[in-house]
Amino acid sequence: MAQPRIGVFVCHCGRNIAGTVDVEGVTEEASRIPGVVLSTHYDYMCSDPGQEMVARAIREHRLNGVVVAACSPGMHEETFRHAAQAAGLNPYLVEMANIREQCSWVHRGAAATEKASRILATVVEKVRGNLPLEPSTMGHSTKCLVIGGGVAGIQAALDVANAGYEVLLVERSPSIGGRMAQLSETFPTLDCSQCILTPKMVEVDRHPNIRVLANSKIEEVSGFVGNWDVRIRKGATYVDPDKCNLCGDCVEACPVRVPHEFEEGLTERAGIYIPFPQAIPSSYTLDVQSCLGLKPLRCSECAKACEAGAINYDMQDELLEEEVGAIVVATGYETLPKAAMAEYGYGEIADVISGLEYERMASASGPTQGEIRCPSDGRVPKEVVFIQCSGSRDPELYKPYCSKICCMYTAKHALLYRHSVPDGQAYVFYIDIRAGGKGYEEFVQRVMEEERILYLRGKVAKVFQDGDKVMVWGADTLTGRRVEVAADLVVLAQAVVPSQGVVDLARKLRVSVDEHGFLKEAHPKLRPLEALAAGVFLAGAAQGPKDIPEAVGQGSGAAAKALMLLSSPELVHSPEIAEVAEHLCSACGICAPQCPYEAITVEDTAVVNEMLCEGCGTCVAACPSGAMNLRNLADSQVLAMLHAALKEHEEAEVLGG
Amino acid sequence: MAELKHEPKIAAFLCRWCAYAGADLAGTNRLAYPPNMIPIRVPCSGRVEPAWVIEALRSGADGVLIGGCHPGDCHYVSGNYKARRRVELLRDVLAGLGVNPARVKLVWVSASEGVRFAQVVRDYVEEIRGLGPNRGEFGVPEEVDDRAGRIAQAVEQAVNHG
Amino acid sequence: MAKPKIAMYWTGGCGGCDVSPLEVGEAIVDVLSQVEIAFWPALMDAKRADVEALPAGGIDVALINGALRTEDNVEMVRLLREKSKLVVAYGACAHLGGIIGLGNLHSAQSLVSTALGPGWHAGSPSFSANGDAPPPLTAGVVPLADVIAVDYVVPGCPPPAQLIGLFFQTLLGGEMPSPGHVFAEEKALCDQCPREKEDRRLEKFVRPHEMEPDPDRCLLDQGIVCMGPVTRGGCEAACPALGMPCTGCVGPTRKAGDLAGGMISALASLVRAGDEGEDAFAREDEVLAGLVDPVGTLYKYALATTWKRRETGGEDA
Repeated sequence: MAQPRIGVFVCHCGRNIAGTVDVEGVTEEASRIPGVVLSTHYDYMCSDPGQEMVARAIREHRLNGVVVAACSPGMHEETFRHAAQAAGLNPYLVEMANIREQCSWVHRGAAATEKASRILATVVEKVRGNLPLEPSTMGHSTKCLVIGGGVAGIQAALDVANAGYEVLLVERSPSIGGRMAQLSETFPTLDCSQCILTPKMVEVDRHPNIRVLANSKIEEVSGFVGNWDVRIRKGATYVDPDKCNLCGDCVEACPVRVPHEFEEGLTERAGIYIPFPQAIPSSYTLDVQSCLGLKPLRCSECAKACEAGAINYDMQDELLEEEVGAIVVATGYETLPKAAMAEYGYGEIADVISGLEYERMASASGPTQGEIRCPSDGRVPKEVVFIQCSGSRDPELYKPYCSKICCMYTAKHALLYRHSVPDGQAYVFYIDIRAGGKGYEEFVQRVMEEERILYLRGKVAKVFQDGDKVMVWGADTLTGRRVEVAADLVVLAQAVVPSQGVVDLARKLRVSVDEHGFLKEAHPKLRPLEALAAGVFLAGAAQGPKDIPEAVGQGSGAAAKALMLLSSPELVHSPEIAEVAEHLCSACGICAPQCPYEAITVEDTAVVNEMLCEGCGTCVAACPSGAMNLRNLADSQVLAMLHAALKEHEEAEVLGG
Repeated sequence: MAELKHEPKIAAFLCRWCAYAGADLAGTNRLAYPPNMIPIRVPCSGRVEPAWVIEALRSGADGVLIGGCHPGDCHYVSGNYKARRRVELLRDVLAGLGVNPARVKLVWVSASEGVRFAQVVRDYVEEIRGLGPNRGEFGVPEEVDDRAGRIAQAVEQAVNHG
Repeated sequence: MAKPKIAMYWTGGCGGCDVSPLEVGEAIVDVLSQVEIAFWPALMDAKRADVEALPAGGIDVALINGALRTEDNVEMVRLLREKSKLVVAYGACAHLGGIIGLGNLHSAQSLVSTALGPGWHAGSPSFSANGDAPPPLTAGVVPLADVIAVDYVVPGCPPPAQLIGLFFQTLLGGEMPSPGHVFAEEKALCDQCPREKEDRRLEKFVRPHEMEPDPDRCLLDQGIVCMGPVTRGGCEAACPALGMPCTGCVGPTRKAGDLAGGMISALASLVRAGDEGEDAFAREDEVLAGLVDPVGTLYKYALATTWKRRETGGEDA
């Protein structure tokens, strides 16, 4: 600040301040602070006449700093900054001294007046050191990248596209649709999952603003909010989707058979395949991992069978470089794999299956056309045991968290079973029933009561094969009785875990994951859809276990967040952030790891990205050499504030020496 | 000179998101607490520099209070954790200097804890009152400063082992 | 231009500074041929009366090394200030209080009793039971600038040859920088340090004698407390280059403030014990507690800059 010309405005706030604090005394005391050229007081500073008083004083006294001693800055800082700006003073030269909430309302007598003066004096010192600042601005791309083509990603892509912005929807498998495409019916309404999902998939496919990149992976991400540079590897499918007419002759010709991922391994597929009939993009894919060999070519039966000539063994992966402004991550979930869950016989006993396998069986388009069968020999199971919390809520061995969707889908599974096998008996082992959701509790009650499903509260101790039966030993903790069931089929509600590869992706995006690999939100309560990396938004189960309506809601929410960014003419960012004095910075690099937003890069010196810095000042405190500064809260300002706060009055000068 | 009744002077650095807002709430609820503490608003407890605390203690503060967000609640994710470690190490250094480490205190107060804020200030003022005024004294206290004894002992040891 | 008249005076210090100009090697011959030595007790016999006899401004540049520990020190530097056009705080003790400044952890009386045995009185007038008198000590150690106006600083313990050379080169070149200038780099030592910085996290404090550090990696990354990040460059990172940590003798960078304060913040920021969070607090504290002698490490040279003694200590008879 040049020659300081600071104006002090003390508010009575009616009796709120003036009833306790000697406002005139405080005003007079402030007038004696060097640099204060005007000190005055008024009944209600925040009123129109009060604001006008400040504005007039700024013009008449050519003020280059303003302190309003009144309420908390949370109340009226904005008010006075606007008023000052209208009067031609940079708003960052205006500060509030909080003599109401933190003084007149909590103290009495002379001490309150004394403290008010001290608080005011500290803020005068701050304003003395404040610099006029302008918000940083920057242009940005208006394209949105959505990673993950499950229902959350689909919803996000559609919402962004329908608002008129371009979307790149990247999906690593050959089709969008995600887990929801695999499900049979959805709880609690028992809608057919594919029937409600596929119209959305078609809408995505046809949308002029959406480009679907299936079979694709994010290779590299650089840049930052508004201006990401993304490199995407679009894997070769070896089938030209424009030529492929979905006849399926290639599948017949292919000699290879491998477990079918979409069917959770309950059936096999050929090396060239379409994951499910309604897949989008609607084309076959040659899976190079299971193909007998392309280079050198070892089989070529599919090409011979393809009358359309759609198969091209020389197809190459494409590397796409895209600029995007916002990124939505919706990479979804999978369930705890077989290998990790040996104690319930999963992976060893054929008739112990996971909930997702059961979904495929229950699906009318699944391998058994909706009939529930034992995988071992295809018989209809007469006794089925459903085990909830298989790997969830088990901090010792597996995951400590609740997978959230299992109580509901298990109830649905049990109901579907009873409808499929009316004379069959179903048992459900559970710890608690968690049915928070619209119509959820009613659904579970209906299953328990109307469908005569036996709910047993307790954990299963042992599952083992006994002849063609699967023995399940457990305890019903409500009756205290031991329970033994000779089951035909056991269905495990496997814990929900993040999709494979998400940690790697998170690293590329510079977003954090929690200890389980779920993506971490910027704030668990207030910013659940944002990653800490600005411009990256989270949707669906990648952030934590979620059911369909929540995933869809988050997809829309993340889209809204992305749209806020994409639709703004330019990015505007607060200037009250960290800065580096390059001539003082030795590039020691201590600052960079302190930043939760990855806003600092260190090369010849540290550099703060103005769009990413949130202004917390942690790096500034860490900087040992003083090369870093937090704008308008510099060390020199704080030290001056401290001295003002602690200043000895002459009569109290009894110490020292 | 007759000792005046000592009124502790406390400088406080309050995180704007939590402790400062908690102090505002204490005000809104008219929860009285002693006026000995002068607040300085900071964006995050992670902005607070140990050098500020040292300067406050050199400038006549009897105590320095730092108010940050509860673990897990930091508006900036982890600034409070950094503040905690810095204060911890600062206290070690102060102890080594012979300055009572209780003269600096880090507390967690959320924006909803007006009652707690008032209580924290009341307690800290009393605690500091109990320590008496900070006269800028530091160093190894006279009564335990037996340097001669320790040096003699060390020499004796060295001679015996040599 | 006439040869500048220089003085070199040694107050409370080890004397290393007094002989340190020899560090510049053969160049010393050039320097000596271009200056006139007005007063340098270690080099040529001269008494206080000789200085008193000089007119004001009779010395062009007084290089004063050592901290101020005795009343005699204080009197002499006041005298030199009176007679000198420029005063240079030469070396860490004059600049910051130096290692001598660690004496401020104890009262003057306690130091005298330790050094001389019982029966000695440190304050003014000093006396002892047998009639001798030690030099009367000041209440505490202070750096030169606490007592007289200091124009320039040549820092270091002792100042490294590069900085001594830089000072004389500038002086003889005739264009002196604005007062207050410290003859060292603006940037911290890391700028000159050849070591690679990678991890930027500290999982354990290690003392220099406890390990043979990796020759290429930053010492801090290996757990050794190196004051490089807070200390001005200028010595070409002489110690870290040889595997020993910087102890901060050149003093803090212009905006670092209190040497220990800045370093406390940096070190504690780097300390990690697994993921940050409440669960890690106890382990973090364990790591922090592993810093042996925090005061001696972080305040090795600058204790007396920040922490002042006001009283000599208890009466001893």
